[in-house]
Amino acid sequence: MESTVTDAAATASARGDQQKKSGDLDGAIASYLDAAAQLERVTAPLCLGLARAYLAKGNYAEAIRWAASVVDAGDDYGAWMSAAALIAGAGQWNAARVRRRARVALAASFTTSQLRALLPLAALRHGIDLQVWEGQFGQYRQDLLDGTSALYQSAPDFIVLAVHERDLALPALSGDPEADVAREVSRWTSLWYAVARHSAARVIQMNFALTAEAPLGHLGARLRESRYAMTQMVNSRLGMAAGNRVGMLDCERLSSLVGKSRWFDSRYWHFSRQAISLQFLPLVARHLTAVLAADLGLNRKCLVLDLDNTLWGGVIGEDGLSGIKLGGDATGEAFSAFQEYILRLKDKGVILAVCSKNDDAIAREPFERHPDTKLRLDDFAAFVANWEPKPANIERIAKSLNISLDALVFVDDNPAECEAIRRALPEVDVIELPADPSAFVRELSEYLMFETSSLTDEDLHRTAQYRARSAASAAEQTAASIEELWDSLKMTATAAPFDEMTLPRIVQLIGKTNQFNLTTRRHGRAQVEAFMNDPECVHFSVRLSDRYTDHGLVGLMIAFQRGSVLDIDTWLMSCRVIGRSLENTMVAHLCDVAAQRGVTTLRGFFAPTPKNALVSGLFARLGFARVGEGDASEAWEYDLAVSGSIENRFITLNVAGDRRERASAAGAGLQGCVQ
Amino acid sequence: MNVHQQLEQVFRDVFNDDALVLRHDMTSDDIPGWDSIAHINLMFAIEATFGMQFIGNELAEMKTIGDVEALVSRRGEV
Repeated sequence: MESTVTDAAATASARGDQQKKSGDLDGAIASYLDAAAQLERVTAPLCLGLARAYLAKGNYAEAIRWAASVVDAGDDYGAWMSAAALIAGAGQWNAARVRRRARVALAASFTTSQLRALLPLAALRHGIDLQVWEGQFGQYRQDLLDGTSALYQSAPDFIVLAVHERDLALPALSGDPEADVAREVSRWTSLWYAVARHSAARVIQMNFALTAEAPLGHLGARLRESRYAMTQMVNSRLGMAAGNRVGMLDCERLSSLVGKSRWFDSRYWHFSRQAISLQFLPLVARHLTAVLAADLGLNRKCLVLDLDNTLWGGVIGEDGLSGIKLGGDATGEAFSAFQEYILRLKDKGVILAVCSKNDDAIAREPFERHPDTKLRLDDFAAFVANWEPKPANIERIAKSLNISLDALVFVDDNPAECEAIRRALPEVDVIELPADPSAFVRELSEYLMFETSSLTDEDLHRTAQYRARSAASAAEQTAASIEELWDSLKMTATAAPFDEMTLPRIVQLIGKTNQFNLTTRRHGRAQVEAFMNDPECVHFSVRLSDRYTDHGLVGLMIAFQRGSVLDIDTWLMSCRVIGRSLENTMVAHLCDVAAQRGVTTLRGFFAPTPKNALVSGLFARLGFARVGEGDASEAWEYDLAVSGSIENRFITLNVAGDRRERASAAGAGLQGCVQ
Repeated sequence: MNVHQQLEQVFRDVFNDDALVLRHDMTSDDIPGWDSIAHINLMFAIEATFGMQFIGNELAEMKTIGDVEALVSRRGEV
């Protein structure tokens, strides 16, 4: 029976594909809708087929509605990405559907381009038109500490600290776990304080998913000195410190939910700095937007429950008090457990209501007299049992509780009742229970829109208090300014002439660096080899490391001596180290080399491209003077005799000379930033 | 569907373009929107469609449609 329905849907869907191919959009839409009507749960390909067909017809409202439906059709990453691309620009298209506009800034230590694309789609499910600002990955500290950063200029309502376990500066085994944990906790909380100082945005901190690999094995679980145990402590203390003031996305829980061996995919980490497997980004997007929705007050407030075969097994009007299944046997226990879970929701503030087709007095009886009932009559804020259609009753419940329909969630085991509500009251969310009552709790727990922002109302007074307190406690911050951050990072750079070992990485950086790239000249390998043999050519690469990590080979310069002038042909830096003052160290090194060669003037060039605006002001900032007006590029000069050498006290520079350093391939491949 | 057709469908899905036609010599320059994000999405979709995993630098080395098709034919479930 069921397979016949599925087959019919597949046939209709295939017919739609053919019709669309032949240009019959109306026919295709009719076939797709026919297929959708036969399915219990509409599939993602069907949603996309409808969205694309409506888009081709110029019916934007329906196109977006169906693209957004992909969210409810499962967590298929590819389908989500396609749908996200379709709704890009939805803000203008469907203003009517939007309950709220919000802006979120992603301050990330991993590649968030994909998450960024998916968030607006997931947000649309909550009626939020979400604008997402994305920082350079790895630059979150600079962005958060610098009150004038582009992050703050994007005027975010939320700042998501999208970080992960590899960011923790915790040793595998600690000599002083208490101190290591405390320092790590204050490193993150100091960023929260920085945000409070510079903006009214709410911070959402991702906590740290424990890794799948356990070098200490089971021993790690009972050694407080282990990174494993310390990470748990950091999570726990950050949670306590967050309280009601800072939001948290519990990535440790989500990774456990789906399994850590799947949550982490080292291939995509090495290839493009994806800290979470792509296949779980839809899940993360759903949870993150549920947290945002709760903070915006857009979470659902009230659970409207059917009775027969929902809160107990059987029909009270026919089976009677002793005949219904509640407690006792396995089936009865499943219903008791469901009631228990519903009580937990009530504990955190969800309003409960009953909407049942029953005689009122009979419907109340189990809650008053059944020995195994967990729910009592006074747990319900509204109790409607009669024989009228449920949509009318649900409207009545909303009115009596003085809440809007979009705050309601309706739960029923009967597909026909569910469908009736979906059609009559699209604002109401519907949870259709599965056949097996032992699966009810899971079904309800996977519904995310009862996410709660805090257990006590966070009113304006509280927020003001928090901001005052955060200002007063400036003393406990570990890094108050970007200079202090740079100092605390204890950065070391190593400059070395190009050599055989580093050549592949150098050619790769020249080939793909877009943002911190003054001239964007794409020299190939043969050209660079020629430069290396040219006595007039000054060339060096730099590696950068700090107390947390070795960033590898991240920058390079190529310059040519023309008499007393040194022309900077190429100057670029990987986006993973932008904002660390490394450019100052690079030009300082160039000054040293220039002095050794008897050069008196550095000449730099800036060739603007659509992607390198980041460095448009670089030469001016370093004290170069503009000379002449080129058409395609600007020329700038720095007179060493007059202005002296440029220095950078924040980074210790080692010069490798001819000593061959082992080139690290780490981080090679496509970088996380979009280049 | 043969490998080429399946691959074409993957590209059409990723780029939301039902009219996309693949040739072996095509590279990212020939397909509008094939940037680093799309590249990741393509690799992911190809892995899912053909039940295979790229290893190491293969993720970065898939430059032409011909490269992809050859590798998928060799290792994918086709």
